[in-house]
Formats: sequence, C-alpha cells, structure tokens
Amino acid sequence: MTMLPQRGPEARKMGLVIDLDTCVGCHACAVNCKEWNTGGEAGILPDYDKYGEKPDGVWFNRIHSYETGSDGCSRTVNFPRSCLHCENPLCVTVCPTGASFKRAEDGIVLIDTDLCIGCKLCSWACPYGAREFDEDSGVMRKCTLCIDRIYDESLPEAEREPACVATCPAKARHFGDLADPHSKVSQLVAQRGGTDLLEELGYRPTNKYLPPRRAQIQTTPRETSGAASQGIGGALLKLLDKALSR
Amino acid sequence: MTGMPPSVIEGVEPPRSGAAAGTDSESSVPASAKSVAYTTCYMCACRCGIKVHLENGRLRYIEGNRNHPINRGVLCAKGSAGIMTAVSPARLTTPLKRVGPRGSGSFEAISWDEAMRIITERLAAIRASDPSRLALFTGRDQSQSLTGHFARMFGTINYAAHGGFCSVNMAAAGLYSVGGAFWEFGEPDWEYARLFLLFGVAEDHDSNPIKLGLSRLKARGAKIVSFNPVRTGYSAIADEFVAVTPGTDGLLVFALIHCLLEAGRIDTEFLVRYTNAHHLVIDDAGGAEHGLIARNAQGSELAFDRATGSLASASATGIDPALSGTFVLPDGRRARPAFALLAERYLAAEYAPEAVAERCGVAAATIRRLADEIIEVAFNQPVVLEQPWTDAAGRRHTHMVGRPVAIHAMRGISAHSNGFHTCRAIHVLQMLLGAVDTPGSWRYKSPYPKPIPGGIPPGRPAGAPGAPLNAAPLGCPMRPEDLLVDAQGEALRLDRAFSWEAPLAIHGLMHMVIARAFEAGPQKIDTLFFFMSNMAWNSAMNPGESIRMLSATDEQGEYRIPFVVVADAFASETVAYADLVLPDTTYLERYDCISLLDRPIGSAHGPGDAIRVPVLKPERDVRAFQDVLIEIAGRLGLKDFADAQGQPLYHSYADYIVRHQRAAGIGPLAGFRGADGRAMGRGEPNPEQLRRYIENGGFWVHHLPPEQLYYKYANQAYLNGAREMDFIGSSAPIVLQLYSEPLQRFRLAAEGHGAHVPPPRLRARVRRYFDPLPIWYAPLEQAASRDGRYPLHAITQRPMAMYHSWGSHNAWLRQILPENRIYLHRELAAELGIEDEDWVWVDSRSGRLKARARTMSGVNRNTVWTWNAIGKRAGAWGLERDAPEFRRGFLLNHVISEFLPGEPGEAAHSNSDPVTGQAAWFDLTVRLERCAPDTPDETAPRLGANPLRIKRPAESAA
Amino acid sequence: MKPAASVLLLTTLTGFAYGLLTWLGLYVAAGAPPAARLLVLAGVGVGLILATLGLIASTLHLGRKERAWRAFSQWRSSWLSREGLAAVLTYPIALAFAWAQYRAPGSPAARSLGVVTALASLGTVYCTAMIYASLKPIRQWHNRHTAPDYLIYALYSGATLFALLHTLAFGTAALAATLAALGALCALIAKLAYWRHVDAQSPIASLASAIGLPKGTAARPLDAPHFTENFILREMGFQVARRHAAKLRRIALVVAFALPLIFSLLARLGTFPLASSALAVACAALGLLTERWLFFAQATHVSALYYGRAV
Ligand SMILES: Nc1nc2c(c(=O)[nH]1)N[C@H]1C(S)=C(S)[C@@H](COP(=O)(O)OP(=O)(O)OC[C@H]3O[C@@H](n4cnc5c(=O)[nH]c(N)nc54)[C@H](O)[C@@H]3O)O[C@H]1N2
Ligand SMILES: Nc1nc2c(c(=O)[nH]1)N[C@H]1C(S)=C(S)[C@@H](COP(=O)(O)OP(=O)(O)OC[C@H]3O[C@@H](n4cnc5c(=O)[nH]c(N)nc54)[C@H](O)[C@@H]3O)O[C@H]1N2
Ligand code: SF4
Ligand code: SF4
Ligand code: SF4
Ligand code: SF4
Ligand code: SF4
Ligand SMILES: [Mo]
Repeated sequence: MTMLPQRGPEARKMGLVIDLDTCVGCHACAVNCKEWNTGGEAGILPDYDKYGEKPDGVWFNRIHSYETGSDGCSRTVNFPRSCLHCENPLCVTVCPTGASFKRAEDGIVLIDTDLCIGCKLCSWACPYGAREFDEDSGVMRKCTLCIDRIYDESLPEAEREPACVATCPAKARHFGDLADPHSKVSQLVAQRGGTDLLEELGYRPTNKYLPPRRAQIQTTPRETSGAASQGIGGALLKLLDKALSR
Repeated sequence: MTGMPPSVIEGVEPPRSGAAAGTDSESSVPASAKSVAYTTCYMCACRCGIKVHLENGRLRYIEGNRNHPINRGVLCAKGSAGIMTAVSPARLTTPLKRVGPRGSGSFEAISWDEAMRIITERLAAIRASDPSRLALFTGRDQSQSLTGHFARMFGTINYAAHGGFCSVNMAAAGLYSVGGAFWEFGEPDWEYARLFLLFGVAEDHDSNPIKLGLSRLKARGAKIVSFNPVRTGYSAIADEFVAVTPGTDGLLVFALIHCLLEAGRIDTEFLVRYTNAHHLVIDDAGGAEHGLIARNAQGSELAFDRATGSLASASATGIDPALSGTFVLPDGRRARPAFALLAERYLAAEYAPEAVAERCGVAAATIRRLADEIIEVAFNQPVVLEQPWTDAAGRRHTHMVGRPVAIHAMRGISAHSNGFHTCRAIHVLQMLLGAVDTPGSWRYKSPYPKPIPGGIPPGRPAGAPGAPLNAAPLGCPMRPEDLLVDAQGEALRLDRAFSWEAPLAIHGLMHMVIARAFEAGPQKIDTLFFFMSNMAWNSAMNPGESIRMLSATDEQGEYRIPFVVVADAFASETVAYADLVLPDTTYLERYDCISLLDRPIGSAHGPGDAIRVPVLKPERDVRAFQDVLIEIAGRLGLKDFADAQGQPLYHSYADYIVRHQRAAGIGPLAGFRGADGRAMGRGEPNPEQLRRYIENGGFWVHHLPPEQLYYKYANQAYLNGAREMDFIGSSAPIVLQLYSEPLQRFRLAAEGHGAHVPPPRLRARVRRYFDPLPIWYAPLEQAASRDGRYPLHAITQRPMAMYHSWGSHNAWLRQILPENRIYLHRELAAELGIEDEDWVWVDSRSGRLKARARTMSGVNRNTVWTWNAIGKRAGAWGLERDAPEFRRGFLLNHVISEFLPGEPGEAAHSNSDPVTGQAAWFDLTVRLERCAPDTPDETAPRLGANPLRIKRPAESAA
Repeated sequence: MKPAASVLLLTTLTGFAYGLLTWLGLYVAAGAPPAARLLVLAGVGVGLILATLGLIASTLHLGRKERAWRAFSQWRSSWLSREGLAAVLTYPIALAFAWAQYRAPGSPAARSLGVVTALASLGTVYCTAMIYASLKPIRQWHNRHTAPDYLIYALYSGATLFALLHTLAFGTAALAATLAALGALCALIAKLAYWRHVDAQSPIASLASAIGLPKGTAARPLDAPHFTENFILREMGFQVARRHAAKLRRIALVVAFALPLIFSLLARLGTFPLASSALAVACAALGLLTERWLFFAQATHVSALYYGRAV
C-alpha cells in the first residue's frame, strides 16, 4: 500500500543512528548486511561478474569516504549510506503497485518483492540512492532494517538488532526507537546534535547521523617552557634532587 | 585415541560438504536443519571468535561470537565475507606436481600418497646430510608452535615466520626494553586511557579490538592523536592528526622527551622502582666493559644510594638511588646512572622541537603543545584505582596509580630501517612517563611480560645431522656468542638472521630468503618450503626479480634453487613456482590451535587460547597442512613426533594438540588440562580437552584477579601466577630496560672486545647501530640515495576490507577494492600537473611502475601511498582474464629493492633494519611523472599470465 | 538520469498518440464535416496503436513484465498508477468516440465523447508528466515547466500527425497544419524557457548537506564504496558532456521544432502538402526523441552527489 500510513504520535520510529565521529570506514556493516540478507528472508542479493572484469552487485549499505574542511586541516569522514526509513518517503508514494510500503507500527519502509514490477520509479524518488535494482530477479531491493532479526523472538534479546549494528567493530551504529525520547538513540541524537541528511528535501529521514567532533585537552601553563638548556638543568635538576624511595 | 570429539558440535548434525547460498546441497540433511558451530575466524590473523550458522549443511551466516574476548560479537568486513571464501574459484583442489618449466603453471594432479612419498623421501635425504638445506618459511599461519617445533626436531636452523615482514624490530625493541611489545604482545588500556597516541597504524593485527577500543575512547571523550602521513581509517577519526614525514617519528619522540626533561615532568619514582634508570653504567672509554652495567661480586647491578652515600644493589628496597652524578666504583672506574646518560642525550639542542620540526614535517609549536598535553594528562589527571596490590619486594600498596597516556604503534614505525630505535624511543617515553602497564597506559597481553634479558638464544645444530637443534630455531640473542655465525663471523643461516648483518633478527628475514637461496645455490639449499606465504608476489620486494630467481637455472639447466614446495589453500602467484603443491583446507575445514606457545588470544585481562574446528567437510582432495606436517614428521621419525621405534605418535593435528607436551604438563592448549579438565596452564593432557573448548565456544580464557591486572613486571601475585603457568621461568621482578645493556655488548664486540667479533666490513655498522640508548638516523635507503632524484616518500597501507593477497578471490571483497590508486596531496598534484585518474609513472632507484593517481588533502605533502597487495599477476587467484586486479591493480613492491644501494665494490646490504633485519618496506623514495595522454589504460609492469594448467590423471591416460 | 530507450519511446509515442486523440476529439466537438468520418476513425486507430506501442515499450523497461497489471492499483498516490489507469480508460472512451462519430457523425454523443476523449488523452499525458514533475531529487524535472511542457509537446506532435492524416484524407492540411505550426512555435518557446530555467537553477543540495554536515562545509569525495559502476551510478549518475549536450540541443531545436514549423507552414500553404506534413511528423518524431533524450540525460539526481557528481 503506497499511501503513507496514518501514524499517531505514539507510533514507533525504528531506525539507525550512525556516528560519523567513530566510523572508521571498515565496510564491515556493508558486508555483514549482505551476508545476513543474502541468505535470509530478504533473499539473495545478487552479484554480477563475480570474478571478472566488472564485479558489481546489490548492496543495502555502502561506505563512502570524503574529505571535509580546508586543505590545511582537512578531516576524512567515512560515511555509510543505506535506507533512512523516511517519515515522508516519496519512494513509497510513487510506487504504482503497492510493493513499496511504510509500516504503520514502526515506520520501517519495505519492498514486497512479490508485488514489485521493477519499474525503478522508487529508486528515482529516493534522494539517498538507497534502492538498488536486482537485475537477476527484476525487482527493487533495499535495506529492510533487518526485520527478520529485530523481531525474531527465537533470537536472544541482545541479538535482536540489525546485522550491521551487531557487527560494527567501532560501535558507530546504533539501533532503536527514535520516537521515544528516552531511547538510547534519541538521547544520542539530542546530546550529539544528530542531523538529517538532505533536510531541505523534506523526506524527514528516521535515521540520524552524528557529526564528527574533536576532543581537546586543556593544558595548565608551565613556568619553564622553551628554555632549552645544555646538560641537565633547571626543572629537571630540581626534580632529580628530590629524595626517592626504591 | 580419545582426544577427537565425535562430531563438530554435540547434539547437532555433523558437518556436511557445503557451499554458500546459491548452490544446492547434495546432502540428505532434513530440509530445515539448522545448526551453529563456534570456531575462530581466519580471514585474517586477528583471531576473532565466530558463530557459524549452517542451514542444510550449507553456510548460512557467520557472525561474531558475543562471548569471545577478542571481538565481543563484532566481525569485520573480511570475517563477514568468509562465506564467499568457502566457494572461491581459487581454492586448490588436489596435490600437484610440476610438469612444465617452473613458473609455467603446468602441473599434474597427483594423489596424496604420491605427494607424501615425494616430500618424505626428499626431506629424509636432506636430513641425513645437512638438515639446514631445508628452509621452512611460513606466513601468518598461527601454527608456529608446531612448525617451529618441526624445524627444531628436523634440525634445520633455516626456519622463519612472517614476523620479519611485519614488525620484528618492534617486537625486538619491545622485548629488549619492556619484555613485551606493541606488536601483538600489548594493548592500550582502553578503559582508562585519556590520551591515546597512535603511531603509524592503519589496521594492525588487532583489527577488531582496536576498533572496539577506539570507540570506547570516543565514548569517554578521550583524545586520540594519530601520527601518520595519511589520514584514513583510524587516523580519520583521530581528534588530532599529525602528518609526520615517513621515517622521522624517532626524532619527533626525542623532541617530546626533550620537552618532558626540560620541564622536569617525568615519573622518577617509577623509573627507580621498575626500570634500570638508576643502574650505574661503567664509564671507561676503550675498556672492555665500557657501557655495561656495574655489578657487585654477587652479580647484582649497582646503584648509588643517596641515603647512605654508598653503592648499593640496584634492586635493594628502601634505597634513595641517584639518577644523576658520577660515581667511583670499588675498582676505581667511574660510573654514571643510566638515566643521566639518557637525560644528557635528549636534552641536547639537536632534539629540541625547533631543531626537528622541519625534518618531521610537524611544527615545533605542535610538538610543544603535544608535550604539554602529555604532561597534563600524565601528571595532572592520573588514574587512581582503589585496588590494593603487593609488589615484588612484598610491599603492599593501597592504590594503583596510572598515567593515562596510552601509546600504540605498528608498521609506520617498524617498516623503516630505523624502526628498532624509534620503537625503543617510544618505550623510553613510556617509561619516563611511568606509563607502562599502569592504569590508563599501555598494557601487556598475557603471557607477557617476559624477563629481559633472559631470552633463549636461537637454537643451533647439536651433534650429528638429524639431531634436533638445541633450542627453537628462533630466539633472542643477548650477547655476541649467541649469534649463528661461523668462525669468520659470517652467517650460518640462509637469510643471514642472527648474523652480524642482523644480530637481533628474532623472526628471521623472510624477505631475503629467495634472494639468498638463489645466491647460495644448491650447496646451501635443497628445498625451499613455503607455507601460507605468497613469497613470489606481494611479500617479495621486487617480485619480478624473485620470480626470476625462483626459476633460474645453472649452466647444466638445473634449477639454482633445487626444489620448491608450496603449501597453500589458494592459487596464489607463488603456487605456479612450486615443484610440489600441498593443497590446504580453508579455515572452516580444519582444526587449528591458537596457542600460548605462539601468539594466542590473551589480553591484558589474562591469558587465553583458542581453536578452530572443522565446520565444513572439504569436497576437494585437500588436507589440513598441520595434519600433513605431522604425518611427514612421523614418517621421518622426528623426535616428539615419533616414538623410539620410529612409529608416528599422532594421527592428526587434533590428536597432537591434545597429547603433545612441550614440557611436563605444558601443551599447545593451556585450558581444560588435567584428567578432570580443571587445570590451566600446566596439567596432564586431557583427552576431553577439545570437547571442552568446543563447549566453551572454541576458546579458553583465564581472567586475572584485579590485583594482578597492572604492574605485572613487579606484581608479586601476578609473577607467582605466571610462574605457575610457565609463562616465565622465575617470579623475580622484570626490570624495564631504559638502557639496553645487550646492545652495548654487541657494540663492544664491534669495537674488538671479546672472542666473538664482527667481520671487519661490518664493524662500523654494528658499532653505529648498537647504541644502548635510542638513536635516530635517516632511513638507510634514503641516506644511501640522497641525491634528490627521488624526492617523495612512498608507502603502503592495509585496506581494512582486504587481507594481503587473499581478498581478491572473494566475490564480495573484490567489489570493494578490485584495483588501487596512487594517492598524493592535491598541492603536489597541482605542481606536477597530475589530476584525478591520470596515469602516472612512479620511478624509484630500482624500477618504475605505472599507476592511476588520486588526489587528497589528508596526506603528508611529500608522501605518496597506495593500498597494499591489490595488484595481482594475470592468471592467479582464479580470476578471469580482464580482472581489474590484473589490469589496473598494482604492487608498489615492483619498485622496492631487497638490496640497499651498496657502496662501490662492497656487497650490498639487505634493505632492512640493521639491528633486527626487519624489512624496510616504507623506506622507499620515488618520483612521479604524468604519463603521456595516449598511454594504454593499464598498469605496468604486467607480467605475463600463468594460470594453473592442471593435467588430471584421466586426461593423461587418454 | 539514464535515457533508457523504453522511456524515450513511451513518452514520445504517447505524446503523438494522445495529442492526436485530443485534436480529433476537439475537431469533432468543434463540428468536423461528416466527410471526416473515416479520418476520425483512422485517426483514433492510429492514436491508439501509437499509444499501445508506447505503453508496450514502457513495459520493456520493467523487471517483471508479467506483473505489469499490478501497476494500476495505487492510483491514490502514484502518478505512474494514474498514468496507467488513464491510459487504459482512454481506450474505451476513444473507441466509443470513434464509433459514435462513425455511426452518427457530429451527433451530440460524438461531440461530447470528443471532448471526453480530449480530456482523457490530455489527462494521460498530464499523469505521465507528473511522474517526472513529482520527483523531488531531480531538479530538471521537479519544476513548473515539466507538466505544461509535456502537454504542449503532446498537442504539438499530435497536431503534426493530425495534419498529416488530414492531408491524407483531404489532400490539404488546412487548419491542422496551422495548429502544428503554432504548436511547434509554442513548443520551441517552451523548450527554450525550460532550458533557461534549468540552466539557471542552483543545485538543490550540496555534498555537505547530503552527508549531514553543516551547510557551507567544504566536502570532497575521497573514495567511493566500490570501484566499478553500480546501479545508482548507471541509473542516476548518467552524465553527458557539456559540449555534446549543447550540440544535441541545437539539433533538437532545429529538428524538433524549426523544421516541422517550416514544413507545417509549407503544408498549410499547399506546397507539396503531403510530403511537407509527412516530413513535419518525421522531424518532430526524431527531434522530440532527441529532446527527450536530453530531458533524461541532462537531468541530475541528488543521489549522485554521494559520488561527487554535480547535480
Ligand atoms: N585488513 C587487514 N588487516 C591486516 C592486514 C591486512 O593485510 N589487511 N595485515 C596484517 C599484517 S601481516 C600486519 S603486519 C599488520 C600491519 O598493520 P599496520 O601497522 O596497520 O600496517 P600498515 O597498513 O602497513 O600501516 C602502516 C601505517 O603506518 C603509516 N606510516 C607509514 N610510514 C610511517 C611513518 O614513518 N610514521 C608513521 N607515524 N606512520 C607511518 C601508514 O600510513 C599506515 O597508516 O596488519 C595486519 N592486519
Ligand atoms: N609493499 C609492501 N609489501 C609488503 C608489506 C607492506 O606493507 N608493503 N607488508 C609485508 C607484510 S607485513 C607481510 S606479513 C607480507 C604478507 O605477505 P604474505 O605472507 O605473502 O601474505 P599473503 O599474500 O596473504 O599470502 C599468504 C598466502 O597464504 C595463503 N593462504 C590463505 N589462507 C590459507 C590457508 O588457510 N592455508 C594455507 N596453507 N594457505 C593459506 C594465501 O593463499 C596466500 O598465498 O607482505 C609484506 N609485503
Ligand atoms: S531513504 Fe530512500 S528508500 Fe529509504 S525511505 Fe527514504 S526515500 Fe525511501
Ligand atoms: S520498482 Fe517495485 S517497488 Fe519500486 S516503484 Fe516500481 S513496483 Fe514499486
Ligand atoms: S539494517 Fe539490516 S538491511 Fe539495513 S543496512 Fe543494516 S544490516 Fe543491512
Ligand atoms: S562497520 Fe561501523 S565503522 Fe565500519 S564502516 Fe560500518 S559504520 Fe563504519
Ligand atoms: S579481524 Fe576480521 S578477518 Fe580478522 S579474525 Fe577478526 S573477523 Fe576475522
Ligand atoms: Mo605482516
């Protein structure tokens, strides 16, 4: 159903919070996502020309890297990109078949690949490049927020999180209910100034990104600074004079 | 034999031949049979615990084992792609015997019986004449406790493992300074560090632990400073990035030390308690003991006690040792505290920040600010734990106080020829701060620390051919007589490790073995046996030359290197150069043992070890290499592998893991020992041991009680416990070596003292590089070719999603990095007229290669770099003809030489650290030039394709 | 955006088709002579065949053609669904119209069905246009030009076809040619205005905002996730060289609008009316395909920002 569901204020908004301050760009989330989904309910994420000239395939998550700031003090920012489970997802409303839909209860945006006709319109409607066409089965694919993990009651509670979150070695990915102001993810967003990607387009993404930051150490000024001296002198002599006990 | 567990996991289906999603399983497992097995990842050497999900006998999913101490549930990109390695087209499928010329790739498939016959006959003959004509060189295999023992029992000194590539100079610098090392033997205190200094690390062996640790630092708001010419990966998220010029970290660290000394902000209490700072160094220029530590008649080191105004045993408690001054020894010679020598050296103006700034490419003000920040955190923000402990002298302390400045360093330091001393400099900085194994600082991983000096020297042949070496082939020489040299002082080993050319080459010189074998010829070498190492390609300096030497023949048409055996799991470039190929299983198909006798999974929290268990059954005619090696050893009747009657003792590696004892009660695995499985460290073999490991998720750890967690070198409870587990030979405290007396011993020899002296041509060199206090010198290659023709530094980095050459046959990983670029600074690019994606020539003194350029800002202005080991030789790795890895991927190695530019008329030295023989991969300097616009769209040099062409018996019959 | 042949054919062919149907409807509504009975019948036939070809072409674009029928279900939100429905609805309407006009030329039923046919046809074109106009990530489509332009091109191309049919039926192009000439002029002006508009547009977003950094932060791509082209780049990252595009624009202007304008005027003036109106159709078809190619090729998608491409 491509009409957006009526979502009351109490509706959950499940999503990811990705910390650009700690993402080291290791691609673990991307590969583990592929691994989990390709053998699971989502079905095979195809690879084309596996061992040939143009290896390519469907990924739900891809890791870019950028340099920001001026040349002198540039910073490298690693940036994982996947579906943001928007509140206002044009990808859903453009879908002619009802294959794309947003769930009322938790806001997850999904594709029913049994309905999809592979018209690709939704991928045109997504500004984030989060939808990828599956050439093998002729349908559109995207991140499922691992619904086959997060609600799987046969899994221990701690494991009911998306594969990419579970695997991230830098713990740069967090999962939770962004509608609940008390959730860990909401608090992270509040504390760290989590941002919306392409806010100006009005898709109101659920996933948030935490911007890079820079820890600093305030030093207490020292009396003896810069006075380079020959041999052991000044402050060090004073220190060495102090009695020691071995 | 009862050591073998009946099936992989109790209560679940035994492993089936398997393949990843997409292929049909031929097994008869019920439609939805799901099972889980715990084992250890081996998509790299980090040793993460994995939980492998199987569905209908096929691999469904591999995730991190949440209980595993190394990775705590996380898994990296490589680990997650393991599922595709299990179906890789590059997997070897059968033993192979060469039929065409060496390197042509023409082989005949043979049976294991025949393969075993060939190799056993060959080795038996070698052993009967001169066992050292077998050279066994292994890669990052994690079976060194087995392979090393095999070599020892076989009786060959020519054994080495990958440490010589990676960081042997750091391993040695650490072991000789603090009895541990950054390299796999230590880790930062992620929990308490407030300032973390990271020197030259891109990914490291501790891939996942470092990432987990960095996130913990981030969560606490600790500051991370990365010293690195390139800002990617860990450096990307550093709070401060210091774009140091390659090879100059030593200078930078001296400048930091200079600032600390100048400010008088060092931990003198720590120095006198735990280091040899107060030990008196004999000052007797020209004397045979000049520079050695003064000792009393009982052999204990002397200090000057200011409380009594007299000399005292340096290890006595209650004394007030002098750290400066000159004192007269009973024999009239003068002596000075080691610290005084150190302070004098680094306070000199030549190490002031202002004096080093330009060479390091770091502003003096930045160095001074960093020094201030170090001082601030170390001395104004100490970590104080309410944890009583008792020191080795029996004194009770109510608290553990730490200086929360943690340091970690890796190949940015070690892949330079000055890495040993640079690493020593870092350890000196740590000692001055009191930041060694204290809360918040760098910590030992169990089973370290080890005593210093105290290493066992490298083993040597003891008696008739065929007798085992008297010790393991790799060891720690502490004095000249420990070296493996002949009467003329020339190397005994093929790779010249433990000779005057590389005295402390404690891991051997892997990168020299092909060149030296070629040089030495059949008199010195018969069989080159490579296991898990791509010796003819990315691990070779100058792969083109290595390949030429491997296939070179003499006038009679005989191969200069008579026989080459390669044990590998995949069709690497080197496989084509083998005479005999022993196809290995992949990591999900075999038992393995990540042993405390090698590099285990221990952490600062305690010792641990792990196993791999077969999760899949190979459907190819392959055998686990360890099983094969044990069978060879059994057939050869080697001691410890066969009984007195020559009957093999073990039928498999699993059997060996459980029953082999290195010493009474000490075996490959430390956990679940003893008849009841309760003993740890030392205990009778337990037939149920593997099953216990499996039940425990594939690993064993022992958590040290809190009072043993820090100050391990002087922590009584820790030392006693470590003694009991046989980690150390005695529970005496371990004195950290600010000043390195063993180095001075080698230096004295170079000055002509003693019976064991270097050959004259090497004297000046040994004298220079065996300074007991850290020194800095320009990387040797640069010093030797300083004519300005190659103004740029050229280095490589580990890509996080690739492991050396074995990622390219993985269908997922190769989508991420199927080709590489040469990266350079945007300003430099503008100057050279180079734009993104342009083809450029990279010239060095030894060759040229062609690569595509990419510009960036986060890189030292005079440095170019690329991802390591991406370029592949056409035909290898099961890839198709036009694979980007062949066409555009390149190896920087093509322009690295294994020899330094020699002085005219002098034999060239190897391109290595002169102290340890560490391969100096990153000393390279180059020039860049844009290619003509019509240049073909492919890299150069491109060696011709040599895919494996295998004749199957059926075909040959037909 | 990747100019896929299927979509180019769809929009161009349906433009001709629905434009023609619109004119036929209006022609009858305005009181076409009874002699035009066959013309209308044949015209509706031609229109529906062209529309059908266009729609078939568009299904070639689908990954799962056999499920195409599902596309009608989401008319409440999806312009694609609406387009499908409108297109399907237009068939019975147009057939009823043709039938009514054939059976009772000029009857009120025929005339009102003519109006309805015109509305349904234009409605279909409008739905098609809105598919593109509603896509926020593509600034060259998501603007006030797209919908009117599609209508204009449809009316214009339909008029050339109408003129041709008229000439075939009556030997003269008459008013239809005037309409075609006027249409060409309007379309030309509309196209120029469109290009002026999109050329002056500023990018709708920056790389900084795409990766969540404060506005104005300088950001440059370092490494893309994968080395080889992927779906996003193939589909959304299509790029056409500026020089090449400028040339194509000139060609489009001449072939799509200027030449048909001239040929239509010639037809109107009675100079080789059949050849002239046929040439007008041919040129319009070729030119509009070029124009449509550019409409796609020059459209940039915000997601290409992630790969460092200008949008
Ligand atoms: N993913 C992955 N992990 C691996 C491996 C792999 O291939 N892939 N290989 C494993 C092996 S065998 C090893 S030895 C380890 C090596 O692990 P690392 O030590 O991380 O090795 P490199 O990637 O060579 O990284 C060296 C870093 O030092 C920097 N550098 C170079 N020269 C200098 C210098 O002079 N000063 C400073 N400060 N920095 C410098 C480089 O820019 C680079 O970032 O990684 C292991 N882990
Ligand atoms: N330019 C440059 N060159 C370098 C370095 C650098 O930083 N820069 N780094 C150096 C360093 S530190 C190292 S450690 C070397 C690494 O170089 P190598 O040790 O040569 O590493 P790999 O290329 O990974 O080769 C390992 C071999 O092990 C095989 N293998 C993988 N899994 C298995 C298995 O399960 N069983 C068996 N039997 N074989 C297996 C692979 O197929 C491969 O042929 O490279 C060195 N070369
Ligand atoms: S990110 Fe794209 S695909 Fe995901 S909900 Fe938003 S618009 Fe749709
Ligand atoms: S491709 Fe599939 S999911 Fe996307 S809009 Fe078309 S039918 Fe809907
Ligand atoms: S939530 Fe699941 S499907 Fe989405 S990116 Fe993460 S792992 Fe992939
Ligand atoms: S796994 Fe984590 S650190 Fe690695 S790329 Fe993904 S988000 Fe970044
Ligand atoms: S770091 Fe990755 S590849 Fe290496 S052992 Fe751990 S999970 Fe496996
Ligand atoms: Mo290494």
